[in-house]
Amino acid sequence: MGCIQTTQVLNRECSGDDGDLRPKLLIVGNGMVGHHFIEQLCEQGLHEIYQVEVFGAESLPAYDRVQLSKYFESGSADALMLASVEAYQAKGIRLHLDKEVIRLDLDAKCLHTTNNDSWFYDKLLLATGSYPFVPPIEGKDRQRCMVYRTIDDLQQIQVAAENATSGVVVGGGLLGLEAANALLTLGLDTDVVEFAPQLMPVQLNDKAGELLCHKIEALGVSVHTSKATTAIIDGEHAFHRMTFNDDSHLETDLIVFSAGIRPQDSLARASGIEVGERGGIVIDDHCLTSDGDVYAIGECALWQQQIFGLVAPGYQMARTAISHLSAKVSGKEVAPFKGADMSTKLKLLGVDVASIGQSRGVENAQYVELSDNQAGTYKKLWLDETGRFLTGAVLVGDVTDYSLLLHQYLSGDALTAPAIELLQKEAGAGIELKDESIICSCHQVTKADIVVRVLEGDHSLAAIKGCTKAASGCGGCSALVQQVITQTMESQGLAVSKGICCHFEHDRQALFHLCQVEDIRDFPSLIKIHGKREVSQFGLGCDICKPVAASIFATLENEYVLNVQHANLQDSNDAYLGNLQKDGSYSVVPRIAGGEITPDKLIALGLIAKRHDLYTKITGGQRIDLFGAQLSDLPMIWQELVDQGFETGHAYGKSLRTVKSCVGSTWCRYGVQDSVGLAIDLENRYKGLRAPHKIKFAVSGCTRECAEAQSKDIGVIASDKGWNLYVGGNGGMRPRHGDLFATDLSTKELVIYIDRILMFYTKTAARLQRTSVWLESLEGGLAYLQSVVIEDSLGLAAELETHMDKLVSTYQCEWKTSLDNPTFLSRFSEFVNPESMPILAVEQYGYSRGQRFPIAPSSKINVINLPVDQVVQSTELNDV
Amino acid sequence: MSWINICDEKALPSFGGIAAWIENRAIAIFNLREQGVFAICNTDPATGVSLLSRGLICELEGDIFVASPLHKQHYSLTNGQCIEDANLSVQLYRVRCENGRVWVQPTSEVIDPLSSGS
Repeated sequence: MGCIQTTQVLNRECSGDDGDLRPKLLIVGNGMVGHHFIEQLCEQGLHEIYQVEVFGAESLPAYDRVQLSKYFESGSADALMLASVEAYQAKGIRLHLDKEVIRLDLDAKCLHTTNNDSWFYDKLLLATGSYPFVPPIEGKDRQRCMVYRTIDDLQQIQVAAENATSGVVVGGGLLGLEAANALLTLGLDTDVVEFAPQLMPVQLNDKAGELLCHKIEALGVSVHTSKATTAIIDGEHAFHRMTFNDDSHLETDLIVFSAGIRPQDSLARASGIEVGERGGIVIDDHCLTSDGDVYAIGECALWQQQIFGLVAPGYQMARTAISHLSAKVSGKEVAPFKGADMSTKLKLLGVDVASIGQSRGVENAQYVELSDNQAGTYKKLWLDETGRFLTGAVLVGDVTDYSLLLHQYLSGDALTAPAIELLQKEAGAGIELKDESIICSCHQVTKADIVVRVLEGDHSLAAIKGCTKAASGCGGCSALVQQVITQTMESQGLAVSKGICCHFEHDRQALFHLCQVEDIRDFPSLIKIHGKREVSQFGLGCDICKPVAASIFATLENEYVLNVQHANLQDSNDAYLGNLQKDGSYSVVPRIAGGEITPDKLIALGLIAKRHDLYTKITGGQRIDLFGAQLSDLPMIWQELVDQGFETGHAYGKSLRTVKSCVGSTWCRYGVQDSVGLAIDLENRYKGLRAPHKIKFAVSGCTRECAEAQSKDIGVIASDKGWNLYVGGNGGMRPRHGDLFATDLSTKELVIYIDRILMFYTKTAARLQRTSVWLESLEGGLAYLQSVVIEDSLGLAAELETHMDKLVSTYQCEWKTSLDNPTFLSRFSEFVNPESMPILAVEQYGYSRGQRFPIAPSSKINVINLPVDQVVQSTELNDV
Repeated sequence: MSWINICDEKALPSFGGIAAWIENRAIAIFNLREQGVFAICNTDPATGVSLLSRGLICELEGDIFVASPLHKQHYSLTNGQCIEDANLSVQLYRVRCENGRVWVQPTSEVIDPLSSGS
């Protein structure tokens, strides 16, 4: 490790020297592949071994470049972001943005960046990506001639589009059609000019290209194929006139070049690292360049004379480089890069397109072809000369079989049925998945990886996504992953049932629907009519179906949850209107809407806590939790709270918890709207709403977002024109930022949208499914929810609003109801025969930091080796 | 062994549990109407906390259980055995209802409550 010392000495004169003795790993480029490399780096713990510095030439950290045109749909880059300076910082990684590396000195092992900074490295990774190719056409440098590659480019296009009515994309390939989508979204009359005789000449054959062309023209895009642009000059009616090789011309206000990409290899080239004849940094099977301390990955790298212009191969290279980098530490074998498949599936301008392997025939090749003009679909499978092996496929309009076909192609196995069957209804019949088959090519997850987790008990797609990462990249393999889960479960004899528990074969949504349309409002009727007879001899249900039923009944009628037909269905917390703690005591949480509380109420709360010796803590939801109340103390404590004007906070329910707020425009010098006022109104509107899981809100008064609304189920952020609504955020174990649902809403519109979203959620979500997972599980995701809520595509909006109005108008404070009726209070008696209670002086609590705590954690008592027919000394078990 | 008079039969909630004291220990009594009345030790052996009376009643595989409110282990009301952990079980008590009163025997025998009184 002598080199480290050398570096350290040199580093004295360099930026970034902070006395860190670890070897330095510098990363040039923070695109998708560079970011994936860093993710893998952290996963392997290498970020602790190396001091890592990342240089990005753009002003933003890594974002999803594949779906760039979404920027115009949502109006911001937020939905595209993959990385952040803070997230890197949390891992000890420094990200330098807007910092271009201008020179690489291999002998000194040093990088020079803008501002004359120098940075020494021990290992260097180049992930510089590519740049758009602009054909050498006369006039290409005119104003309003742009490229389509970065968010910066998009912003320039957006500005130019403000004074334009028409736009042309030069290039009818994959990126060109994405760019056309962007222009269309901006409201321009859009034309696509392609040099080849068809669209997407690299991936599709002529017939598929033709169908794609028809579909795109139906959307209002004019397509011109077999046209080479000869010059761009001043237009007569528009800003530009493009002249073509066939003497025709086209006038347009702006031009976007999207005619391919070229590897960004200039830094490497100038340093003396070997590059290919036609560009690209030459790498070996370990992603090492001609310099043994420099790696290159992604679109800038040239492996065996090939550039890989897709993200999945780039990810594979990242994993290879990581495996090589960590080999010395981990002792594991290096997994070499063996090339990558360039098959692809995507949605272009709303049209599904996929291509696998070869898209054109070779000599003697067999094929099957299905062209359905009625349905607007085209499928062609290429086979070898024996007709038994799939060598390629082209799909337009219907790509549901992509995963299976891709698998068949990659496995290299012979088909077990005639190829035509692959194009018919029951597709996949002739395809068999092997254990080592790669199911998710983005994350290299094999069938066996998934099977192992299913056998360990992960039975849902969401769970498998979480633990194996399968289907969490491009998502194209979701259907296949689900199929593996289902097959594995079936092979284990596990019933693949969507039923919530053994008593019902219905999921929560189905049960909700049944209760609603058949007017079922009590559990005995529900299980009698819809329960599985063979397992419901006594009709008692279980701890899964009963709370689900209770939640459904509460959403439908909003009756008091402890009345006689509902009380015995409630889960641990709801059953006693308190939050059960580890020692059997409860915590009490009064509602403090929006986190706003008067000094008098704060004092009252303090006095009550003091009187009952309750441990007191401020919660993350801006309210106050009082711990250590015994079951029988609850009514007394709540009587005092209600007398002081408090009501229940529903902290015990699968229902609205809090609406957190920042201080907003009333005090804050940055605030643009009254966030506290809105938070209080929202909390009071939705309090008591029973849902499939708890619901948290937050309202921020400006874009600084101090209320952290994007981490809530429903997040509202003030804009200067109104409110921006975010849906599906989550903190906790699996944090998720909410998706931007709608912008610049009036308060009235906001409430209507939230009404509809929440009611749609309570009716359709699975048991204990938070809005984040629910949103992800909706087929069509955010766009679907927007169509249901904003455009009322299901015609449900009025019903959803009426239902919410009913719930709002029937709200009750459950504690007030309980206190007003002595029969309800009887369940809070700890013992049915308190007169027999012995006088025990068992001290269960101690004091620390001025407050009461339970003494010693309740120890687990094992009744070991005791056959059931022997006596258990219950006194031993009872003294806690 | 003598029977202990606990409470009025009407004081037992239907299809739910309630805790009671016998001698120096807490027990949980569950009233399942036609299926009978059951009594077990109130302490959850997984945690040592006395609260099984507050658990939900479950019917699983033809037997009747109570689910601990803390971590949802299921204990059989007919043999005391825990489903999730073979090392855990709860003591059962003989219980009968007579003349409108509930009686429990602080027994040390193995009992089958399905055939005992009510």
